[in-house]
Amino acid sequence: MSWLRENWRVAFLVVLLLASTVALFGPNVAGDEAAEASADRATNLQYGLELSGGTRLRAAVVGATAEGVDVTQDNEQAMERDVAEALSLESRDVQARIASNVVEVYSENSTDEVRGALDDLGYGYDTVRDGVTGETRETMRETIASKVGGAGFSGADVTTTETQTGERYIVVEVPGQNASQVRGLIAGRGEVELWAFYPENGNQTNATVLTREDLADISPPRVINERPSVPVVLTDQAAPRFAEDMRNYGFTTGNGISNCQYPEGGYCLLTVLDDEVVYDASMGSRLASSLEDGDDFTNDPRFFITANSMEEARELQVNLRAGALPAELDFQDSYFVSPSFAERYKPLSLVTGIAAAVAMALVVFLRYGDPRVAVPMVFTALSEVVILLGFAAVSGLALDLSHIAGFIAVIGTGVDDLVIIADEVMTKEIDSNRVFKSRFRKALWVIGAAAVTTIIAMSPLAVLSLGDLRGFAIVTILGVLIGVIITRPAYGDILRRLVTGQH
Amino acid sequence: MPSFEVPDVDLSQYSMRELFAPPMAVLAVALLVIGAWVAVTGAPVNYGIEFTGGTELVVESDASQSEVTAAFEQDHDSIRSIGTGGNQYLITFQSEDQQSLNQQATDAGFEVVQSSSTDPTFGSSTQSLAVLGVGIAFLGMSGVVFLLFRTFVPSIAVVLSAFSDIVVPVALMNVLGIDLSLGTVAALLMLIGYSVDSDILLNNHVLRRSGGFWESVHRAMRTGVTMTVTSIVTMAVMTVVSYYFGIELLTDIGLVLVFGLTTDLMNTYMMNVTLLRWYKFEGVAR
Repeated sequence: MSWLRENWRVAFLVVLLLASTVALFGPNVAGDEAAEASADRATNLQYGLELSGGTRLRAAVVGATAEGVDVTQDNEQAMERDVAEALSLESRDVQARIASNVVEVYSENSTDEVRGALDDLGYGYDTVRDGVTGETRETMRETIASKVGGAGFSGADVTTTETQTGERYIVVEVPGQNASQVRGLIAGRGEVELWAFYPENGNQTNATVLTREDLADISPPRVINERPSVPVVLTDQAAPRFAEDMRNYGFTTGNGISNCQYPEGGYCLLTVLDDEVVYDASMGSRLASSLEDGDDFTNDPRFFITANSMEEARELQVNLRAGALPAELDFQDSYFVSPSFAERYKPLSLVTGIAAAVAMALVVFLRYGDPRVAVPMVFTALSEVVILLGFAAVSGLALDLSHIAGFIAVIGTGVDDLVIIADEVMTKEIDSNRVFKSRFRKALWVIGAAAVTTIIAMSPLAVLSLGDLRGFAIVTILGVLIGVIITRPAYGDILRRLVTGQH
Repeated sequence: MPSFEVPDVDLSQYSMRELFAPPMAVLAVALLVIGAWVAVTGAPVNYGIEFTGGTELVVESDASQSEVTAAFEQDHDSIRSIGTGGNQYLITFQSEDQQSLNQQATDAGFEVVQSSSTDPTFGSSTQSLAVLGVGIAFLGMSGVVFLLFRTFVPSIAVVLSAFSDIVVPVALMNVLGIDLSLGTVAALLMLIGYSVDSDILLNNHVLRRSGGFWESVHRAMRTGVTMTVTSIVTMAVMTVVSYYFGIELLTDIGLVLVFGLTTDLMNTYMMNVTLLRWYKFEGVAR
C-alpha cells in the first residue's frame, strides 16, 4: 500500500494509458449507431469533414425585422398585406407576429426601405434591423434539415450559430456530398406550385391553382404514363376548389384537353419551382371528365405533378415534403473536400505528427545523453497525446486538422515542462527524498504558472466563433490540464526512482 | 552517446546597453515594417482569404501550372503545386464566386478535390473577432503575469518580451509574403502562452531562489534554452513535413511558432536578463 501512496501518479498514468488504449482500439464504447457508422475501422476515432470529406455551408437568412410594432389579431393580416404591397412583394414575404410584436420582411429590401414603408403606412415601430427572428431561423433550420434528409444525404447536421459580434448563421454540414449539390438543394426557397396557363379574353393568363397547403399526401416520385411524376392527394378543402377552377378556366372543355403549346398558348398545367416553370403538361381526358363531374374528383382527389426527369421529380418531392423556406439564404462561406482527398490527410497528418515527435525525441536524447532521463521524457510527452486521443474516442469528438495541430502543440508544451522538471531535479546530486520533493515543488510552480498563461491565452479561441480553430484551442487546453495534473508529475516520480535509486 | 550542451555564454561580460539594444532594435524594425504596411496597404498584415473573402481551390490535373491558371477567366492570387503526386495545385482567387470557379475547373477537365470560399462581409467580421481574440489573450496573459510576480519590472519584462514575440513574427510574415490565416492567428495566440514559459522560468530563478544573480541566470538559461530549442526543432520539422504534404494549417502554425520562439530566445536572454539585472542591482537600491 505504501508503494501505491508514493507512486499513485505513475499508477494513475498507467491506468489512464490502458483506458485510452481500450477506448481507441477496443470494441466501440460510445455505442450509438451514428458513431458505429462513421468510426474508422482501425480505431474508434471519429473524423470531421476535413478528414472524411463533405461540405459545410454557412449562410445568413435574408430579411429585415421591425421590432416594437403593435401587431394585434385584428390588424395582423392587413399589416402583412399592406407592407407587402408597399414594398412590391408577395404577402407570403411579410410575416407579422402578434406574440413578439415584430414584422419580418423576407426580401433584400434595405432597412431604410422597410422603415419608409412602415412610415408611409403609419405603423409605429421601435427599430428596424437586418436579419430575421429566432422563430424564423428555427423554421429554416428544420426545413433545411428535412430537405437534406429527404434528398438522402445521411449524417447531415444543420445548426444555427451566433458569433460574438452578434451575427447569426445557419450552418449545414453534409458528409460525402459536394458543395454544388447541397447548395442547389437549399439555394432557393423551394416553393412548388401548380399554375394554370389558359386564354382569357384573348390573352394568355397564369393563375395559381395548387400550392403545398392544398396537399394532404405526397408520395415518392415514379414514372406514370411515361412521365416522371410526383403523385399527390389534395385536401378535402382544396379538391372542390381545384375542380371548380379547372372548369371555370375551360380546362374540361373540348378545347382544354390535350392542348398545350407553352409558352405560345393553349391550356397548360405548369409545374413551377420558385416562380420558374420547370414543366408544362396538358390536361388528360380522364382527369378532365373526373373534374367535370366534380363529385367524382372530390371523392378521390388524386393528382400527379409532372417533371422532365426522375431527378427533377425527386427534387420537387423533397421540396414539397419539406415545404418552402420562409426566406432565402445568403451564403457566407463554403467548404468542400472530396472524400478521397480528405482520406489522404489522415496518414499524412499522422506522419507529420510522428516526424515532429521523433525530432523532439532526438533533441532530448542529444541534450541529456542519459537514456534514464530521456526515455521516460519522450514516453511521458507521447502518453499525453495517447490520453487525449482516448478522450477524443470516448467523447465522440470529430477530429479535424485543427485538432491534429493541437496534438502536436501539446507535444511541444509537454516536453518544455518535462525539461524543467528534469533540469530542476538533476542540478545537484540528490541524496534524499526530502531534497527531491522540495526541488520538485519548485519545478511545479513554474509549470503551473506557465500552464495558467497558456490556458488564458488559448481560451479566447475556445470561446470565439473563429472557424474550426475551436478544436485546436480545446485540445491544447485539455492537453495542458492533463499534463499538469497527471503526466508531468508522474514523470517526476519516475525520474526520482531512477535518479535516487529508491524503490 | 553524442550530446549537445547549452553553450556557456557569459552574459555578465556585456554591458546592459550592449545586451538591451539588439532586441529593442529588432522590435523597432518590426514595428517600422508593420507601420509601413499600414501606410502602404492600409492594414498591418496581409489578410488571407478567410479575412478578405475569396476562394481557394485544390484541383487535380495532369496539366502544367500555366495551363491550369489559363483555364480560369478570373485572375488568380497565387498557385502552387502540393502533395506527393505533383498533379495537385492549390489556387487562390479574390473572387468569392466559388460556383463559377468550380464550373470553370470542371469544364477544363480538372477535378476539384477541395474548395473553400468566404464572403467579404463574413471575412471582415472574422477579422474583428480575431483581433478581439488576440487582444483578450494578451491582456489575460499580462494580468496573470502581474498576479504571479506582483512587482512591476519583472512583470513588464515578461509582457514586453511576449509583445515582441508576436510583433516580430508578424513583421516577418509581411516581409516573406505569408498571409494571415486562421491558422496563423492560432499560432500567435499559442505564442503568447508558449513564449512566457522561458520568461517565467527566468524570473522564478532570479527572484524566488537563493544564489547569486548570474548563477541563477545561468541555471535558468540551461533549462530555458533546451526547452525553446526542442520546441523550435519540433515545430520546424512539422512545418517542413506538412508543407511538403500540402497541409496548410499545420505549415502556418509551425512557421509562425518557429519565428516567435526564435525571437523569444533573443528577447528572454538579452532583453529580460538586462531588465532583471537593472532591477536587481539598481532598481531595488533606488
